[in-house]
Amino acid sequence: MSNTVIPLLLDSLASAALIFFAAVGLTLVFSVLRVLNVAHGSLYSIGAYVAASICLFIASRQLSPYLSFVALLFSAVFVAAILGPLIERTLIRWTYGKSEAVQILITFGLFLMLEDLQRMVFGVQSLYEDAPVRLLGTSQIGGVVYLNYQIFLIGMAVLVVIGLRMLIRHTRLGRLITAVVADREMAQSIGIDTNRIFILAFSLGVFLAALGGALAMPTSGVAPGLGADTMVLAFAVAAIGGLGQIEGAAVAALIVGLARVLAIYFVPSLDAVAPYAAMLVVLLIRPYGLFGAVTARRI
Amino acid sequence: MKFKVGLTALAFAAGLASMVPAAAQEKPSSLGLGIFTFTSGPAAAYGMPGKNAADLMIDDFNAKGGIEGVPVKPIYVDEAQGAQGVIAEYRRLAGDPKNQVMVAALSSANCLALAPIAEQLQVPTVGWNCDTHQLLIDGKSKYVFRPNGNTIPEFIAYAIYLLDRKPDVKTVAIINPDYAFGHDGANIFKAALKALKPDIQIVAELYPKMGSPNYQTEISRLATMHPDVVFSNLWGADLENFVRQATPRGLFTSSQVILALGETILQRVPLPDGVIVGVLGDGWWMSPDAKANAETAKFAEDYKARFGEYPVFPSIKMANALIYVKAAYKAAMQKNGGKWPTRAEIADAMKGSTVATLTGTTHTRADNDGLVDQIVGVTVKSPDKPFPVIGDMVRYKGDSLMPKADQDPIAWISTLKPEFVKTLPKPGSYK
Repeated sequence: MSNTVIPLLLDSLASAALIFFAAVGLTLVFSVLRVLNVAHGSLYSIGAYVAASICLFIASRQLSPYLSFVALLFSAVFVAAILGPLIERTLIRWTYGKSEAVQILITFGLFLMLEDLQRMVFGVQSLYEDAPVRLLGTSQIGGVVYLNYQIFLIGMAVLVVIGLRMLIRHTRLGRLITAVVADREMAQSIGIDTNRIFILAFSLGVFLAALGGALAMPTSGVAPGLGADTMVLAFAVAAIGGLGQIEGAAVAALIVGLARVLAIYFVPSLDAVAPYAAMLVVLLIRPYGLFGAVTARRI
Repeated sequence: MKFKVGLTALAFAAGLASMVPAAAQEKPSSLGLGIFTFTSGPAAAYGMPGKNAADLMIDDFNAKGGIEGVPVKPIYVDEAQGAQGVIAEYRRLAGDPKNQVMVAALSSANCLALAPIAEQLQVPTVGWNCDTHQLLIDGKSKYVFRPNGNTIPEFIAYAIYLLDRKPDVKTVAIINPDYAFGHDGANIFKAALKALKPDIQIVAELYPKMGSPNYQTEISRLATMHPDVVFSNLWGADLENFVRQATPRGLFTSSQVILALGETILQRVPLPDGVIVGVLGDGWWMSPDAKANAETAKFAEDYKARFGEYPVFPSIKMANALIYVKAAYKAAMQKNGGKWPTRAEIADAMKGSTVATLTGTTHTRADNDGLVDQIVGVTVKSPDKPFPVIGDMVRYKGDSLMPKADQDPIAWISTLKPEFVKTLPKPGSYK
């Protein structure tokens, strides 16, 4: 029995870690900007492409493979620093206060452009460099060989949850973000530069998306189409956790990860629908998600 | 007088009208070929080698004057847009009489969607990949042809090779993509095993969504089942991801792995020795027959020079499909006295034809399905290539693994007996 239970739990955690990275940036951006960014999945895959390109460059120049860990983080920072302010200032800012339909149309247009841009820049073949996986090696747990990198990802996800919590609750920036989330007009009236907060929050969301893609790349590579798949899963997780709830995204990722792994182990034919079945059940019981709350609509 | 002039004009006009069919059969300025493949999305890893081969072959045709003296103009359609888009593109291209033949398609789902339209519009359509055995199962097709064979011989070949190489196999796990090709492949492989070695147990069947980037959970599940054999017909980026994730986790050492489309990744992913791989047909560019063919060697070297990699079997399937089209024009023009053929004449020429390809021959049966040999082997290190190649090969005759045209394929497989394996050539016999 333990030969199934331990792998099942470990697989659930490892799967949840990857799912969490895909969703947390989306939920953060929604919590601050009130914008559902449909292009989020593309930012995830761009992070993966940039990480793969830099890691392949490191390998081709026979530089220290340990630099690939730095490359993963650098890729996310690079993508966030370039695309975060650029997208927020040129596109997202025009959607503030507009209807959800307008926001979705604009970010969907952005998604299509970014998907084509990736094909033009990175081609259509998959890119892959697994130096970080090779460096960390493997462990036998519950009779099954696991990549230590999978365990590293679980640790990274926990770190991100703690880091985001500390950022929001214990830093000045976090308090400013909280004020903007609570009441945008009031925050402006007391002198908070909301435009700056929006740029920072959106760029942080881009960073988290790109980091997710970069961290996933060494195990799963990156190929065209990754962005669309990621986006759909990220929406499911954000909906389960409650849009805008970071801890909710973490719990939702665990639920989705567990649902998917249980399906693969016991009912493989339900593998693809398991995350969405979990979402359906949660939303039937709690329509605003596990951590979401009913909010009054302003008229 | 006026009446006479009118009659003369009428006769002249009638003469002109009677000349139209003849004029229509004069050689056009160019021959359009609609070529359907995946040029984007995860399936492009399989589709692009096909397109590359088409580019190379058509350039070669045109350098030698085209097909029967007419330059070939390819029009590529990306199958990643989905069936509705593919159907719309097909109809648009078919509406132009210059586009006489369609080379369509890669995806079995798209082939099934296009087949009735090809019949309706009466456009010769050559499935360059189109593996599903369901495509021509009713035996009534007039315009749809599949020169590269179907899933029945392709997957029976793996079962036979496995039983020859590992006769003591007891447990098998399957991981295939979750669509028709994955499920058909699993059903054929299981049916063949059940008929040829009834005591084999299938301990797991996993069908991950096509395009999944992550197979870690599936690999854990396979590892917990400890199967003697893991069979997979994953392909494209999915196959690359699966192999890259499964290799460090020891799946290739704990089980005998069969990768039905493994040849496509030999140059891209380091596969360990001893993995059973094949080419879903005879399209291995390093097979003894291919090596003996100067044209194939030139194609492989030209391909390498132009695209940076040697061809993979989807490239060969595309090249062979184009050779098949070219041969049909030649045969049709020989039959009609050298006139440019109509679509119907081209289809007629394809029926029952036997065409020498880069890697063997393809014979088109009465049901328009192609008979091609099946090459299977295992990965071995190459003395002169920086990637593994196929060794310990066997080449099964195309007709030996195919049911008759009017037989239900799965029912036919169930009639096979364990002794059937003994009648076939053995691993290592194809040198």
